[in-house]
Amino acid sequence: MLNVANLTASIEDNPILKGIDLNVGAGEVHAIMGPNGSGKSTFAHALAGRDGYEIEGTATIDGADLLEMEPEERAAAGVFMGFQYPVEIPGVNNMYFLRTALNSVRRTRGEDEIGARDFLEIAQKAMDLVEMKKDFLHRSVNAGFSGGEKKRNEILQMAVMEPRLAVLDETDSGLDIDALRVVAAGVNALRGPDRSMIVITHYQRLLDYIKPDFVHVLVDGKIVESGDHTLAVHLEDHGYAGFLNSGLDDASLSGATA
Amino acid sequence: MSGTVSALRAEALELVESLHLPTKRDEAWRYAPHKTLSELTFGPATATDALPTDIDDQVPALDGPRIVIVNGVVDATRSQLGSLPAGVQMVSLDDADQSEQRSEVDAKAADDAFSILNRAYGDGGAFLQIDGQPTETIHIVDIAVPGETQNASASRVVIDMAVGSSATVVETRIGSGDAFGGSNVCTEISLAANASLEHIILQDLPSTQVHLGRVDVVQAAESNLRARLFNLGSDYGRVAYHVHLNGEGAHADLSGLYFGFGTQTLDQQITVVHDAKDCTSRQSYRGVLDDSSTGVWNGGVDVRKGADGTDSEQSNDNLLLSRQADVNTMPRLEILADEVSCQHGATVGQLDDEALYYMRSRGIPKDEASRLLIKGFADQTMDDIESDAIRTWITERLGHDDA
Repeated sequence: MLNVANLTASIEDNPILKGIDLNVGAGEVHAIMGPNGSGKSTFAHALAGRDGYEIEGTATIDGADLLEMEPEERAAAGVFMGFQYPVEIPGVNNMYFLRTALNSVRRTRGEDEIGARDFLEIAQKAMDLVEMKKDFLHRSVNAGFSGGEKKRNEILQMAVMEPRLAVLDETDSGLDIDALRVVAAGVNALRGPDRSMIVITHYQRLLDYIKPDFVHVLVDGKIVESGDHTLAVHLEDHGYAGFLNSGLDDASLSGATA
Repeated sequence: MSGTVSALRAEALELVESLHLPTKRDEAWRYAPHKTLSELTFGPATATDALPTDIDDQVPALDGPRIVIVNGVVDATRSQLGSLPAGVQMVSLDDADQSEQRSEVDAKAADDAFSILNRAYGDGGAFLQIDGQPTETIHIVDIAVPGETQNASASRVVIDMAVGSSATVVETRIGSGDAFGGSNVCTEISLAANASLEHIILQDLPSTQVHLGRVDVVQAAESNLRARLFNLGSDYGRVAYHVHLNGEGAHADLSGLYFGFGTQTLDQQITVVHDAKDCTSRQSYRGVLDDSSTGVWNGGVDVRKGADGTDSEQSNDNLLLSRQADVNTMPRLEILADEVSCQHGATVGQLDDEALYYMRSRGIPKDEASRLLIKGFADQTMDDIESDAIRTWITERLGHDDA
């Protein structure tokens, strides 16, 4: 589904990603863990198409070249990015935003647009999933939302967009335990044989709720270790220190394969 | 300095002979196109027949009473003055009793050339007296049709709110044709104690014309003004507010939107004078400037001696959509009283890249995302406008009607 090979990213000659190889099969959930500054968020944004990076290497989704696409084309190709810091957009109604987003990707894919009434049903289901109150749709996108509401809104958007690949960037940061449970339950409900996920996190805590098929450790712009979910438990007990010192020697550069 | 209207007019006509147009050195006219202004010609109001009968597609579809002024002359055919709501008197200025003295404030404040020209020639217009609480929106339409003898029109609007009365008044200012010209409209508003007025100006003259608007407001104790400006049309579109809070506990809330394209200059000049205790005022304006348009926001608060307990806030936020677009924002504050709270802030920015990226990552194409962001920014100025007809007019005018 997603194939990433020797992906590098730098900002103004400052290398951040130094050659990432990662293959994510359909329906798989991969966790990427790593210390602060290791390049986790950059990897997520490189997949979503943020401006400002020098990118080399390859990244394809179902064989299509992601790196050649604008962010909106990537969305239409099935990529969804859950932001670590969802952006506030005052004056833009949440419901209108969501419907515009959904219909934009449908248009690009040559599918029929969804009318207001049918959309309301889709939105209602998504709101139930993340336990959002009804007035939520009529508020401005993320404006004045609490940290928890913002993260729940990301999952709500994911539920509406039904992506092929969801990249969730530190979705757990800033969440209390109740909000974390709601968000994780939303993510789990959206798991399926056709939907792959990359869950980026600093802490193992989230992975207690969302059990990944594979765990990768990202240190200094490279994946230095890959394994199953027990690797996360190991990290929780021992931290990243071992990887920071001798990371490159143990590096498993091939990543996990489906 | 006070005097009857006719005495003031006679005095103004004399002054016209030796008129000095504003220059770049006049702070309030600094960014005005002085050469263009010098090409405006004024004279005694004359009716015109060079105007399509149907103006309804140019103005908001309001159902209530309407008075239409064309080139400074009330047009009875296009007006709807039958069955006025209880407590509302709306007539042509010619028919109004104007023998009373104009207040010293009006007579003194307006000493710039275009105010003098308005006093000299703007003897036609609307006189509106409200002693009650009409629920229908009252509509005043001013239309400029550049003519052969003179290209600019002058007119006046007088709004007199009795004690405890309340109303919503909309002034729609438009023009006809594609010749150079413009309109010069002075509005005089007086709010007696506890009166409450929502006053909305929709400025949408053709881009070949100039609009010069001036609004003088005098407020008595506990009165409440809500002034909304949508400054959208004209090559140079200017509206100046002079609000005097003369009675204790008066409240003035002014806000608006200017949205410029092409080579437009949209100029808002606001002065709120706190001249009594415990008055509050709010100024909150937003500008969106595209192409090589220019925005001007010059907002002042003068807190006079003895106006203790003044509470004022000013904000001006601008969105520049092009590198050639420009805005000049100048909050001013003068405080001569004690225990006052005066806050002001101004921002100038471009479209938020992070927000654009966020929207694009959701599949919304770049142009559509920009449009949504601009609309989101601009539409917040309509938040408290209740009339659907006015909201519809504004959104259609801004090309946001498909949203």
